[in-house]
Amino acid sequence: MDGLSYALTALTTPTIVLSAAGGVLWGILGGALPGLSPSIAMALVLPFTFDMSPLAAIIMLTSVYIGAEYGGSIPAILIRTPGTNAAAATVIDGYTLHQQGRGGEALGLSLVAGTIAGLVGLICLVFLTKPLAMVALYFTPPAYFALAFLGLSIIAALSEGSLIKGLIMGVIGLMLAMVGTDPLSGAPRFTFGEPDLLGGIDYIFVMLGVFAVAELMNKVSTPDDGEGSVIKNTITRMRLPGLRKMWELRRAQTIGTGLGIIEGPIPGAGGTVAAFLSYNEAKRWSKTPEKFGHGSEEGVVAPEAANNAVTSSALIPTLSFGIPGSNSMAILLGGLLIHGIQPGPMLLSNRPDLVYGLFGGLFMANIFMLILGMLVLTPCIWLVNRPKPYLTACIMMVVLSGIYSINQSLFDFWIVLAAGVVGYVMRRLEFPVLPLILGIVLGYMIESSYRRSLLLTNGDHIVFLQNPLSLGLLCCAALIIGLAAYAEIRRARKPQDMHG
Amino acid sequence: MKSKSIGAIVGAIAALGIGAIPAIAEYPVSTVRLITHSSPGGGTDVFLRKIATTLGPIMDVNFVVENVTGGGGAKAMAELAAAPKDGSVFYGSTPSYIITSLLSKPEVGYDQLDPIVNMFYDPQTVFVKSDSPYQNLQDIIEDAQARPGEVVAAVSTPSSLDRQVMEEFQAITDTQLVTLTHDGGGDVLMSVLNGTAAVGIGEIAEMRGQLDADAMRVIATYTEERVPGFDDVPTAQEQGVDLVVAKFRGIVGPKDLPPEVITAWEEGVQEMMTDPEFKEWYEQEGVQYGYLGHDDANAAREEFVASQTEFFEKFDIN
Repeated sequence: MDGLSYALTALTTPTIVLSAAGGVLWGILGGALPGLSPSIAMALVLPFTFDMSPLAAIIMLTSVYIGAEYGGSIPAILIRTPGTNAAAATVIDGYTLHQQGRGGEALGLSLVAGTIAGLVGLICLVFLTKPLAMVALYFTPPAYFALAFLGLSIIAALSEGSLIKGLIMGVIGLMLAMVGTDPLSGAPRFTFGEPDLLGGIDYIFVMLGVFAVAELMNKVSTPDDGEGSVIKNTITRMRLPGLRKMWELRRAQTIGTGLGIIEGPIPGAGGTVAAFLSYNEAKRWSKTPEKFGHGSEEGVVAPEAANNAVTSSALIPTLSFGIPGSNSMAILLGGLLIHGIQPGPMLLSNRPDLVYGLFGGLFMANIFMLILGMLVLTPCIWLVNRPKPYLTACIMMVVLSGIYSINQSLFDFWIVLAAGVVGYVMRRLEFPVLPLILGIVLGYMIESSYRRSLLLTNGDHIVFLQNPLSLGLLCCAALIIGLAAYAEIRRARKPQDMHG
Repeated sequence: MKSKSIGAIVGAIAALGIGAIPAIAEYPVSTVRLITHSSPGGGTDVFLRKIATTLGPIMDVNFVVENVTGGGGAKAMAELAAAPKDGSVFYGSTPSYIITSLLSKPEVGYDQLDPIVNMFYDPQTVFVKSDSPYQNLQDIIEDAQARPGEVVAAVSTPSSLDRQVMEEFQAITDTQLVTLTHDGGGDVLMSVLNGTAAVGIGEIAEMRGQLDADAMRVIATYTEERVPGFDDVPTAQEQGVDLVVAKFRGIVGPKDLPPEVITAWEEGVQEMMTDPEFKEWYEQEGVQYGYLGHDDANAAREEFVASQTEFFEKFDIN
């Protein structure tokens, strides 16, 4: 088999092994820094790949991508700040576990779940490229709308306890997503003449505000326990889960991996939707759904499996169509073009050495992710167990410098700080934050695909039912909403029954 | 980035030492920064890096490419306007710096900068899936007349030249199509591939992979002359639709540069454009020769600004 020999050649070439290891390490660090997104981490190393061999260059770029998507979960678990968008869902149970002194376990779970998902994703990339490429092709505007709608329907499940509060936050998120430029006409709206708002409000800023800044405000407003440490009974080492533990968590792992692989090739959807959907489904199929939100291991495994599985299958549209589905993939495409390599349907037949070599490199990158993750995590845990005054000051500094590194704009500071104040108030009033994030992440997609779909049929809503994919996804959404409503009604009746 | 500049230095030293390639005129500074608002690996970035290595030895200058991203070019424009007026800083331009100036109204706009030379045109093309029934523009016009408001044409962003072209096409041919805007060129390809749109507008470089695999066909180009490498594809004008789009690529500098700097650029770029290896490269990239000197480039910009302003006003984009 030629493919295997190409892959083995890559695996045994020292420069390629080095570029995979270096890429993953840089990626993990970049992903872990709030504000430094996977695509920025990739852009920063891109100039260094110009003089490498084409294979080493693309392996380095994809390794950075893989490392960064993983690295985002480290601050999500340790400081309630998702380092990447896709790690937002990990915050819920990851940070709760950390507060319970089980941060080391949560980090271990996320690392192992991510590695397994990455490897399974790679197998799918190797053997199922054609069918998975079709997934990307089936996504027409009505299907995008239905996917975004399905994503929003999770609000119903995420805001358990107070559906109204969840909906309020979801709507606020959607409203914030409206700010900027009209997706169809290009006219500016809700910008109040402010040029900085023309591009819209980047959701990474809202996320950093409502998670990181609000958490810091919360920390400093609660009295110190006098021991200098935030969390008691802390295990200060990363702890890898055993085989038995992973077997117990197989459901969450399978759900996350599966959804991640399917969603990876859909341009624009990305790991964020996959992570949230997996979290929701893992909860539904869990034997202990009541633990979700209160430190569930499955609640870490499912989204982490999803956002790492995405890293493999997201390569599919870029390699097989030459069409990048995200900013990270656009940078990978740029890296390929600089070396005179044209990705597209002919890539496999023109350059099999490159494609199979890349598969070999991806395998290495996932293994390095496990090894380097183990080395990096313990120092990270040590760092977050420093006395509270130092810790909060340092996190604030890291977050603010991260924000500034994105656009070098002071305007972004104000957005983050405002989001922080709003997030703090909402938390005090017990409004759930995640529906807000879902709303702002999905707002653009749901609006643009809805209006594009209606353009296609001159305003006839039948378009959403004619498309089989859109119909199927909308049915799933209806099911999720229906089940959540049923649970809500049952819960509401119970106390009455007791009285009656 | 570093090694590229080293390459340029080596090239410059070679040029000095051997004297085989005479420098055209003494350039006042030895290191010139080329700013681009595109990120490393993006369209303009790749293009400037190639120019840096080809033009460096010709002008006897060490070119360094710098990425100043953000604000759709607003940051790069501000940096350029504040740069010393000695010929040491330039900006790799595409129409986006004018579009950003008109739409976002940043503090420093296009009118505070001076176009030095234009080099290329990016041909705007009309493309269809390879199994499409459309063979030429006439087929599209006939279909659109038979089914008004039903034929879908995919274009990139709402403020893009693609969309402008599509609106003008409808006005000229008296047809009514659905102009479906997207978030970028890649999405346009996807919409044409999966049948959402019957026809797409785009650039050759973006669809190279699809063309190589015969998954797509180009049926017309909005250019003055046929595009090299696509000699059997007639222009829109040849097909009876009088529409030419000048999506230029060039070099812009700060205002009030010394005349000898401008002359050095004009002469250097003209020599670069005749370099056979460079010509082969840019034709492979899918761009067309479009050299304009300082005065012509300024006139072309005036014209472009006027047509953009009209388009934005007509479609209420401002």
